[in-house]
Amino acid sequence: MTAQTLAAAAVQVIGGVALAPLLPGTIQTWKARLQGRRGPSPLQPYRELRRLWSRSRVTPVPSSAIYELAPLVSAASALLILLLLPVASTAPDWGLGNDAFVLVGLLALGRFAIALAAWDTGSGFALMGAGRDLTFAVFAEALLLVVLVLLALPAGSTDLVAMDAAAADGAAWASPAQWAAVAGLLIVALAETGRQPIDNPDTHLELTMVHEGPLLEYAGRDLALLQWTAAARHWIVLVLVAELALPHPGPFGVQLLALATSLAVLVPLLAMIETAQAKLRILRVPLLLGGGLVLCLMGLAANLLGVSA
Amino acid sequence: MLLCGRGICTGTFAICRALDGRASANVSVAIVASLVGAGCLLGGIVLGIVRRVPLALGLQTAGVVLLGVAGVVLLVGGESVGAGFRSEVEPALGLDPLSGFFVVVLGVVAVPALAYARNSIPATAAGGAMAALTGGFVLAMAGLLAARDVSVFLACWELMTLLPAAAILLYARDAGVRRAVFVYLAVTHIGGVGVWVALLTLASHGAIGGVPVAGGLQALVAIAALVGFATKAGVMPFHVWLPRAHPVAPPHLSALMSGVMIELALYGLVRVLFEWLAPAPLWVGLLLLALGGLSALGGVVYALMQHELKRLLAFSSIENVGIVVLALGASLVLASRGETTWSALAFGAALLHVLNHAVFKAALFLGAGAIAHRVGSLELDRLGGLLRRMPWTAAGFAVAAMAIAGLPPLNGFASEWLTLQSLARLPLGQTDGTALVVAAALAALGATAALAVLCFVKVIGLVLLGEPRRPECETASEPPAGMRGAVVGLAALCVALGPAAGLILPRLVELAPGTVELRPAAEIAAPGTGSLPTLALTLALAAAILGLRRLRGTRRAPAAPVWASGQRAAPSLAWTSAGFTKTLRLALEGLLRPRREVETQVRGGVLLAITYRGAVPHLFDTRLYGPFERTAMRSARRARRLQSGNLRAYLLYLVVLVLGMLALVRAGVIG
Repeated sequence: MTAQTLAAAAVQVIGGVALAPLLPGTIQTWKARLQGRRGPSPLQPYRELRRLWSRSRVTPVPSSAIYELAPLVSAASALLILLLLPVASTAPDWGLGNDAFVLVGLLALGRFAIALAAWDTGSGFALMGAGRDLTFAVFAEALLLVVLVLLALPAGSTDLVAMDAAAADGAAWASPAQWAAVAGLLIVALAETGRQPIDNPDTHLELTMVHEGPLLEYAGRDLALLQWTAAARHWIVLVLVAELALPHPGPFGVQLLALATSLAVLVPLLAMIETAQAKLRILRVPLLLGGGLVLCLMGLAANLLGVSA
Repeated sequence: MLLCGRGICTGTFAICRALDGRASANVSVAIVASLVGAGCLLGGIVLGIVRRVPLALGLQTAGVVLLGVAGVVLLVGGESVGAGFRSEVEPALGLDPLSGFFVVVLGVVAVPALAYARNSIPATAAGGAMAALTGGFVLAMAGLLAARDVSVFLACWELMTLLPAAAILLYARDAGVRRAVFVYLAVTHIGGVGVWVALLTLASHGAIGGVPVAGGLQALVAIAALVGFATKAGVMPFHVWLPRAHPVAPPHLSALMSGVMIELALYGLVRVLFEWLAPAPLWVGLLLLALGGLSALGGVVYALMQHELKRLLAFSSIENVGIVVLALGASLVLASRGETTWSALAFGAALLHVLNHAVFKAALFLGAGAIAHRVGSLELDRLGGLLRRMPWTAAGFAVAAMAIAGLPPLNGFASEWLTLQSLARLPLGQTDGTALVVAAALAALGATAALAVLCFVKVIGLVLLGEPRRPECETASEPPAGMRGAVVGLAALCVALGPAAGLILPRLVELAPGTVELRPAAEIAAPGTGSLPTLALTLALAAAILGLRRLRGTRRAPAAPVWASGQRAAPSLAWTSAGFTKTLRLALEGLLRPRREVETQVRGGVLLAITYRGAVPHLFDTRLYGPFERTAMRSARRARRLQSGNLRAYLLYLVVLVLGMLALVRAGVIG
């Protein structure tokens, strides 16, 4: 292992595990500032996690081993994705490969575990949220796959490291497929992180919950794991956007800097979208995601016709 | 029968010739195992007829195991036994590695299905007949795989259709079932004409085991074979019989029909398209992609809308056949582009999914049967709470459901991943117009995977989790050992085949036309992908889950009731199948056209009652086959007028016929 891969491994693990909660925290701070409030500190998610970690877990009646396992499976799948995801065009060999479609499968595994836990307790609010989440996922997963194929075009491979390296110098932006893919990826990012206009992470009204609904029954360390998983999904999706879509040329160190810059740009961008855009009606969400899909197919068609941007 | 007898004799002679000295040890093992296996199956049928039910099923199990051993030997050794394919219509039997693979699939499903049947078939006359029909069905499927000429193939093909129909009628004979069997026989026979046309045309041109046909004839054969085999495989839009016939069959036959029979139709399709028509033209590949995409998406969407477990599973079979057809289509398109490696990998993906689907679908059908054995009706909204009451069966069922949803690290994920990769290869390799079709197919497969997750989350939730919704579920207990063992064994196979995909795939890839070699490994390292390390992924997931479990500790507060806005969680608040899928149903309203009726009874300004009815009609029935069926019945009624029963009318028909023939001879058209 060279120093470079060691550094990449450190960023993967430390960034994904320890820095991830900073992302939703910063989004909340930015959002508050944009709305003219002082808002919580970016470190607020850490305080929440510390508080939850010291509380005991609650077992609802009825529930079974599935309810117990769900937070573990969900967090474990997020952990594995962190290891698949290259940073600065580099990924150490964890023995897990670096395939983009495996990442999609692991995201689905996390969703599956949480939805099953909702059925386990039989709580109406949890099931309402889980049903919506899985329905959105139908459109989001189709969109994400097509986006990944479009982003894999320059590298000719779905290997995330190769895709990352091919996207580094920004040459791909000459193709309309890239523009369509980036737009599609941003829509997927909103869906996967559960932010407005698709879901409102700040809602306290059970009837409007999507991602939060199935977490209602959880408490203590279970909830801490699930909240960390939600934060890790922010990290995963934003790093995916930064590494596969945004240009980040230069040697390893510069690319790391570019990653940090990209994250620093994407976070206020999400906060701005949340401030400017109200939550969509539930039935509009499939239209948004489907629209992204059509856009991507059009991008591919333009690519075939040899149009260049 | 005579035909089969002659076939067996010829096969035996061929085998004796093969055994004569030069054959390797593998080949001898395969020959002996397959012959003794077939003999055991025949014996099992006879014992069934004389009502020795447990003995009959035991002997049949032994026969299937032996056949499976022969299949494994041929598959691993890459050798063939018996006759080769021939165009002459002269009964011949033999096995090659591709047949061997499907024989293994047959064995993997038939052994647990027969174990299940030991607990479900009573030792009565009807039970004996059922055992005999089951054995006959298995033997017909084995015969289809061993057929090396058209006569044996078609004979076994028809038996494979008729025997389960007889078994279904033996199992239940109310009007609904009779109607379902009628539709099954009618549709598979009308569609099955395609198989006869395709195979007889190929045989008459010497293409079976000879030089593939080309030109216009190739197009004719391709279309005929597609219609014929796709009907039997349940590919949309030829699938209408499948969701009717599979749910009414006894569970062990449902497992065999969904797990093996429909895959054997794909076996036929593979033989025709990849061997006797090779190289198949590009449009056939694109047509397969379109049909596969439609089946995958349509199958799972309609599966989601079902309220009865076995009907849901039948629709899910259509989905999985669609995935296999997508992979086969990708393989053909890639082959026509000259990308031999990926074409072979796509072919391997199709076969891997055939195996995986056989395993999890058999587990689900047998699990559903075991649940019905204990609680009766399988209406989804009236089950629940079974995970705590029948833990082994329920856990097996849940694992199989997770596998069919295509989730890592189970077996379904590996084959779906490779299918996705094969599709992605098309736009990635070289960009032309087909890339757009393929991108749409890719999106369809992605949506299918996510819909399957939604569907089987719903199934696990409604059937196994939560509170029981019916008194029978309250008191349910584990089914007998045979049923339980069948489900648990197949579920264990779902878990084992996940990490083992990298070991199996190279053998399957070698079955593709062309010579592509892949090394067996703990990962699927296909070129141009980030590789799927099946074993490492499984271990890493397990390690992460265990590690996090340790980290979480065991501290917990006393149990508390579920939050329902402060009120008590009454059974009337329980979530239903329709409720869980409502968002999707509304999102797809334009496509699915659900019916919704709300009636209110108001008297004197007081609301007395509200009745609500909702259903999602099967549009293929109402829009496509309904008008077709009505026209057919109407013209049949018209044609009946010809049969007046009046002797003079019949004499008139004869005179007209003779005069017509004479006129044709005179004109030189015939004679």
